[in-house]
Amino acid sequence: MAKNSVLKVDDISVSYGPVKALRHISLEVNQGEIVALIGANGAGKSTLLETVLGIHHVDSGTIRFMGEDITRTPTDRIVASGICLIPEGRGILSLMTVLENLQLGAYHLEADINQYLGRVSHHFPVLGERSKQMAGTLSGGEQQMLSIGRGLMSAPKLMMMDEPSLGLSPVLVAELFKIIVDLNKEGYTILLSEQNARKALACAHRGYVFEIGSIVLSGTAQELASDPRVHQAYLGG
Amino acid sequence: MDFVLARVINGIAMGSIYALLATGFNLLLLVGGVFQFAYPHVVVLSMYLCWMVLQATGGNLALAIPAAIGSGIGLSLFTEPLFRPLTKRGAIVATFVLSLGITIVFTDVMGRQIHRGVPIGFPTTLTGKEALIRFGVATLTMGQLATILGSVGAVVGLLYFLYRTKRGRAFRAMGQNPSAARLLGIPTLRTRIYSYLISGLLGGISAVFLAMTLGAAAGPLGSLLAIKMFAVAVFAGLGNIRGGLIAAIILGLAESFAIGYIPGDWVNVIAFGMIMGVVMWKPEGLFGLRA
Repeated sequence: MAKNSVLKVDDISVSYGPVKALRHISLEVNQGEIVALIGANGAGKSTLLETVLGIHHVDSGTIRFMGEDITRTPTDRIVASGICLIPEGRGILSLMTVLENLQLGAYHLEADINQYLGRVSHHFPVLGERSKQMAGTLSGGEQQMLSIGRGLMSAPKLMMMDEPSLGLSPVLVAELFKIIVDLNKEGYTILLSEQNARKALACAHRGYVFEIGSIVLSGTAQELASDPRVHQAYLGG
Repeated sequence: MDFVLARVINGIAMGSIYALLATGFNLLLLVGGVFQFAYPHVVVLSMYLCWMVLQATGGNLALAIPAAIGSGIGLSLFTEPLFRPLTKRGAIVATFVLSLGITIVFTDVMGRQIHRGVPIGFPTTLTGKEALIRFGVATLTMGQLATILGSVGAVVGLLYFLYRTKRGRAFRAMGQNPSAARLLGIPTLRTRIYSYLISGLLGGISAVFLAMTLGAAAGPLGSLLAIKMFAVAVFAGLGNIRGGLIAAIILGLAESFAIGYIPGDWVNVIAFGMIMGVVMWKPEGLFGLRA
């Protein structure tokens, strides 16, 4: 294939003590794609994203990022090499200001980060306006914007988002997916884990369906959205 | 009036040392993930090492003061690998138990091994017992002045580090939410080790100031200070660095006035009273946990 592979997960298994959390997972994310991971709560989507970031011990298999093996690389080096995770629950440091949260996103960057700050306020004007405010005082939607903005501060080559629509109102969910598509059009490669399968498949190029730690289906977003099994299980019949 | 002034000077001098101790303790708790009850023992053992250098060099302060600060850093870093396996599992109560073990070892070393267990005294070149300024019966010694100014300087420096630098931001992020900090790519182990280094530095500075204000040290001093430090930290709210500064001055002043006005040895009751009062009426501490 001539496509530029950004992330290549090959036959990964992860366990929490005696419990197998991931069984022989293989997937790929190419340059410029939005790839959606769909499936129920507890299917292993979050575990996979965290494993890519080096949080969990890998029993077997390899993870390659931009061609380099990162299976056993420490998290701080993985983040510095260009992967960011916008975690489920947003991971906002609520007792620090909006600006400090954004600055922490660029922790590993030595260069002047003002250009990145400018770019984030361009995407999310509200973050620029409230930069001196404590992050904990932001609304849920604004906190999600901050979490994404903080991810952008790290100049990522791959953005991973874990359940970004969780707890947002329908209006904000629509806005969020518009932002994801916009970011992708600007060139960001995105790996998106979502329980909201309909919205996720509507914006993604390709997808993988997780069930109890395994991938049971994969294909282009259109294929998955029209597959009767996906339809029945995740798109409400 | 002079008498009140004397009490205030003494109280603020002792309070500044409590402030340094509580700050180092809170830093280790928040960033290092350890409940280091033996932190004052590290400080008092540094006083002993400072004293040994004074003995060996015939009272050379230019060597003894760096020796105290170096010992504070060295001893603090020495405890890090002991705590590491416990911190990795997030076993904070186990770190407290281990720190109690360290208090026993350090107290034994100071109480028996060094100077055959006889309390040590520091020369007046360090303490400066001659009054620098006199207001009637109130005096301000060199040691007290250096302690107050030096502690303010150390605390201002620390706050600058925490609130104005990149690594300081990482410290605070670790204190608030270690797992989020890790996802952001903050090197958690290295940041923890830095917290031992910085609290060791504060501990070394406290050792010098304790030598200046007390002029002496003995084996049980570590445990005595540990209770004061704990009282300050609990009173302010565990992990609350800025609240701890205020609580430390309150304890210093309260003790100083108790010595002056209440007959008998009631001083240590105040620290215990602070702990009990807070535990009963405001368990989260005066200023709340972790700010």
